[in-house]
Amino acid sequence: MPHEFAIGGVYMPPLLIAAILGTIAAVVTARLLNRYRLSKYFFYPPLVFLALMIIYTVLIGTLIIPV
Amino acid sequence: MIPLSTRSKEAIKTGLAMTIAYGIALSMDWDKPYWAGFAVAFTSLATVGQSFNKAALRMLGTLVTTVVALIFIALFAQDRWLFMLFLSVYVGFCTYMMAGKKHRYFWHVCGFVCVIICMDAGPNSIKAFEIAILRAQETGLGILVYSLVSILLWPISSRADFEAAACKLASTQKQLYRSYLDLMSGEGNAGEAQALRAQEVQEQTRFGQLLDAAETDTYEIWELRRQWGRYRSQAAELTETMERWRESFAEVKALDLSRLLPNLIPFGAELDERLAQIGRLLANQPPERQPVAMDLALDKAEARALFHFHKAALAVTWSRLQRLEVLTRSLFDSLSDIKGFGQLVTEVDTAPPPRGGLVPDPDRLAGAVRIILILWLAFLALIYIDDMPGGAGFVSMATAFGMAMAAMPQVSVSLLFLPAAISVLFGGLVHIFVMPQLSSFIGLGLLIFGVTFAICYFFAAPRQALGRALGLAMFVTLASISNVQTYSFLKIANTALMFALLFLILAITARAPFYLRPERVFLRLLGRFFRSCEYLISTMRWDPQRAVKRLDRWREAFHVREVSTLPRKLGAWAPSIDKKALSGTSPQQVQAVVTSLQGLTYRMQELLEERGNPQAQFLVQELQEDVRAWRLRVQEIFQRLSEHPAAGERETFRTKLDGTLYHLEERIKGALDKAPDGLISERDGENFYRLLGAYRGVSEALVNYAGSTDVIDWTQWEEARF
Repeated sequence: MPHEFAIGGVYMPPLLIAAILGTIAAVVTARLLNRYRLSKYFFYPPLVFLALMIIYTVLIGTLIIPV
Repeated sequence: MIPLSTRSKEAIKTGLAMTIAYGIALSMDWDKPYWAGFAVAFTSLATVGQSFNKAALRMLGTLVTTVVALIFIALFAQDRWLFMLFLSVYVGFCTYMMAGKKHRYFWHVCGFVCVIICMDAGPNSIKAFEIAILRAQETGLGILVYSLVSILLWPISSRADFEAAACKLASTQKQLYRSYLDLMSGEGNAGEAQALRAQEVQEQTRFGQLLDAAETDTYEIWELRRQWGRYRSQAAELTETMERWRESFAEVKALDLSRLLPNLIPFGAELDERLAQIGRLLANQPPERQPVAMDLALDKAEARALFHFHKAALAVTWSRLQRLEVLTRSLFDSLSDIKGFGQLVTEVDTAPPPRGGLVPDPDRLAGAVRIILILWLAFLALIYIDDMPGGAGFVSMATAFGMAMAAMPQVSVSLLFLPAAISVLFGGLVHIFVMPQLSSFIGLGLLIFGVTFAICYFFAAPRQALGRALGLAMFVTLASISNVQTYSFLKIANTALMFALLFLILAITARAPFYLRPERVFLRLLGRFFRSCEYLISTMRWDPQRAVKRLDRWREAFHVREVSTLPRKLGAWAPSIDKKALSGTSPQQVQAVVTSLQGLTYRMQELLEERGNPQAQFLVQELQEDVRAWRLRVQEIFQRLSEHPAAGERETFRTKLDGTLYHLEERIKGALDKAPDGLISERDGENFYRLLGAYRGVSEALVNYAGSTDVIDWTQWEEARF
């Protein structure tokens, strides 16, 4: 059941929280891929980053925070 | 009385000006009083002259763009797509002009203020006129108030700073000259010379900026602005000539210069003395002696015994030193005129400006394309996303930030994130917790003064300018001070979200259509540099008598400009390259690549200049095939380097080019032996050796470049990364 997040009396939509967490997860993944020189296997990393953001957001929105 | 530091005084001046500007705008009951606050925030600089210059550009830009905005609204009020098309092209044009050399801030203001007026007014023509006038009058108010405060309260004239900068520049040029003279004679320290060179570049920029400022706030400098302008261009030419001179050291290393140039030591001492006298003049002291006209003697009997390429190298060095002689004399004369110790100088003794002024710059065009894309993305978001955070202000803010980012593409968007987040938080706290407690202008005035003072005081250093500008802008935006004051948490949350979306757009446009990762840009610029070199070398085949088509002339001007400007652009990108990600590449190695490219630029320019000089027909016919072979080899190397910057090793280049040049040396010897007496005049011989020296210079510069790239692991640079 989707429900809003109340932070100090301010209500936030669950999609916003899922998107923020998804972006953070994508940033961490991209940094790890850079660090271990695995990014070179992707054709166009910026697009991969966008895809990762969406995948993580959908996964978080489905499994952890229902949106 | 408590003595105050300059930093405190400047912060007090800005705080006071901001408070007065708000006070007047509120008492006049003007809408959007924060526009006056913006004008104060962005025109307050270290000296009166600098602030006046910026204020004048802001005012002029606002007035011009007001007319443009009203024209756009009048013409396209009924068609938003056509309206947006013209507006975005106009902003793109302003961004292109902003990246030029002159009136950068004027073009910046012209671009974003037009969007502010258009977006705030919408298609309503009456509102549009009111908004445009309001923007102009509040900008004028902010500028007027700050100008008065900065003149009346602790005025800081640019004159002292300017004179100090001029003395420092002259002193560094003298040290650099001394250092190069030592290097030429095989002594001296190359590292020290390199450090002096870097210092000189910075001092030259500062000298130029302070001259502009001093012309505005010091009548004595304004009166002599033409003479100072001449001095500035002569000083810049002196720097360039010294660099070209330095480039020839490697080739004259093997020669006994004290025998070939018998009066080199007194000649060097005379130039040194002239630079010392220039220092005295700048310190307002009369010169101890006048320059003595002196020719650098060349022992022709000694020179005749040299190999032809050594003769060529000697001819190049000789001509550079002769040019230095002329330039130091002109500098001395100009300064004597300025300081009233000499005669009036009217003749301008500097090189003519480069050809092809109307040649487009690809990097500036890329910046214009980026801002057009930013504007369209913001506009489409405004139209298609309901309740877009920031509303029409989102488009205006995107334009202001986008234009600033287009002017400094090396700055990563992520660097802006933290200052912006802190500024939003700070502004939000003031808006929510402090402002509701205030009930009169005394309280509000104290708040405005206190916050402005704190931001200006803690972000006073020049490198903190971005934080200062963001802090003041965010405070002014978030506080939203007006006569009918409302407080809302939603406004703060919306502003924060607007900035998050704005940074998203900036991040997208930093990756498409042009990928702005520093090492990729570096490789792209390298490719362009070598492509231009290849084209210019290919033009060497042209017969000087042949009529050149207009398109060919334009292409040549384009590539000449590319070759002369790209090393500087590469130098600007080099510090942004991520050293941690590209392990094994040190900043010094990257700098060495840039320096070697600058050397190649000078050599290419020299070759193109020498190409124009008349040559003996006999030598041209005899050596045509050999010069052609050299040209084709160099062209092939440039072509390979344009595809891959490390396509060649130092030793391979050395072998290839030395082989060709050795063959050429033999052929020259044969041709000269064959030449009948009197067929080749002294002038022909001089021109020929200078051209030969230029050919040899390009070859040496290529070998030098290959040496600097050998140590870099280019495969890592080419790998895709997030």
